[in-house]
Amino acid sequence: VSLPEPLGEVEAPIFQTAAFGYATAEEMADVFAGRLPGHVYTRLSNPTTLALERRLTEAEKGVGTLATASGMAAIAAALLGLLRPGDEILAAKGIFGGTVSFLRNVLGRLTIRAVFVDASDTAEVAASFTSKTRAIFVETIGNPRMDVPDLSALGALAREHNLPLIVDSTVTTPELVRPGDHGAALVVHSTSKFINGHGTAIGGALVDTGRFDWSRGPFEDVAALAKKAGTYAFLAHLRSVIARDLGACPAPNSSFLMLQGLDTLPVRMKVHVDNAQALAQALADDKRVKAVTYPGLADSPDCERAKRQFGGRAGAILTLRLGSSARSFAFINALKSARRVANLGETRTLVIHPASTIFREYGPDDRLALGVPDDLVRVSVGLEPFATILDDFQQALAVSQKES
Amino acid sequence: MKLVVNGADVDVSDGLSVAQLLVERKVRMPDMVSVELNETILQRPEFETTRLKESDRVELLYFMGGGAGARP
Repeated sequence: VSLPEPLGEVEAPIFQTAAFGYATAEEMADVFAGRLPGHVYTRLSNPTTLALERRLTEAEKGVGTLATASGMAAIAAALLGLLRPGDEILAAKGIFGGTVSFLRNVLGRLTIRAVFVDASDTAEVAASFTSKTRAIFVETIGNPRMDVPDLSALGALAREHNLPLIVDSTVTTPELVRPGDHGAALVVHSTSKFINGHGTAIGGALVDTGRFDWSRGPFEDVAALAKKAGTYAFLAHLRSVIARDLGACPAPNSSFLMLQGLDTLPVRMKVHVDNAQALAQALADDKRVKAVTYPGLADSPDCERAKRQFGGRAGAILTLRLGSSARSFAFINALKSARRVANLGETRTLVIHPASTIFREYGPDDRLALGVPDDLVRVSVGLEPFATILDDFQQALAVSQKES
Repeated sequence: MKLVVNGADVDVSDGLSVAQLLVERKVRMPDMVSVELNETILQRPEFETTRLKESDRVELLYFMGGGAGARP
């Protein structure tokens, strides 16, 4: 009987090393040439990170995964690996501000144009393709817009145009949805959020679902690589050029923390979602709250789609509006248990005022177009006993009423 | 039968599948290897169903990170 791991260890060892030595120059040359498997340098690969990549591949039922230093690094690798100057990408409105900034400011400098569309309106997406479109990018639930695109419809559109659909599933995780089942070519995650789950490390990942035939796509260098690497072509392209040279590799210790998070992801997501659903309902019934947006609410236009796509679970993020930014600030300041934090998906309930933080760099009109009014509060619902969360929100709502 | 694996002549059992070759050759990290048979890349499900024959040329490739071998 052989043990599954070298020493029968239960948890992944942390290979806290920059580089890996070889007995001979020949062996090292074989590893560099790809004739032998092996790790060379942690910027390129690391056994702890590889263990995380295998777990994520399995969770998404994909063909392979590239773990990165952050979710933004995963998005950067995916898009820089696909797009060239003059190309266009269709991107959902109301996605994470950091992604919007990357699309506009980083890709924009390279004359790659992001065309923002209402991704929950499949007809609008269908009408927005041009001869320059090379990819579609959406979030499973727009953050903070909270809209839910029809992934299967977008997957079919992408297939029709022979282009990859890229889905950021950070807020849903493989526990709620596997975008590959809906036709997504690539799935990106900020693993810093629910996958880590405890707010202890920054990380990201890109999973190739195997649904896109890179040998027939419009990406010449990847198609050429498909002759050697088959379904693994895009990941090989990232590993041998793009991600290798960008250098945004995960720290081995962070990969370990993500692996630890994955172990408890199913039980945590259940409580996160149950608490979010109950909080959204309570806030929707509260006259002091001007609006609550949560795709799990029966009157949400996305409710049916969210329930169908995510197995009846509409995620753990909600937004509320209190009528003025002064009220929103007073509410946020009065919270005693929830924390004021620019993160989501931690054990604790976290709140942020997106207009003055994540979306600060955009003007008011631009923010409105991106789904971020000035009185919007984003809530990442945590794992506290529900009564603790509700009591905290109710006392803070009472305080907020003193502002006009 | 004789095969050429990564450019070297090797002697293996007759009628092996690609999957069996990986086992017989004690290939490291078999879940990470890409296999090219007579200059055609095999899809992973084909490892079980593809039988090798005399003089086949097999390339075992890894796209793990160090490899510039993956460049077209």
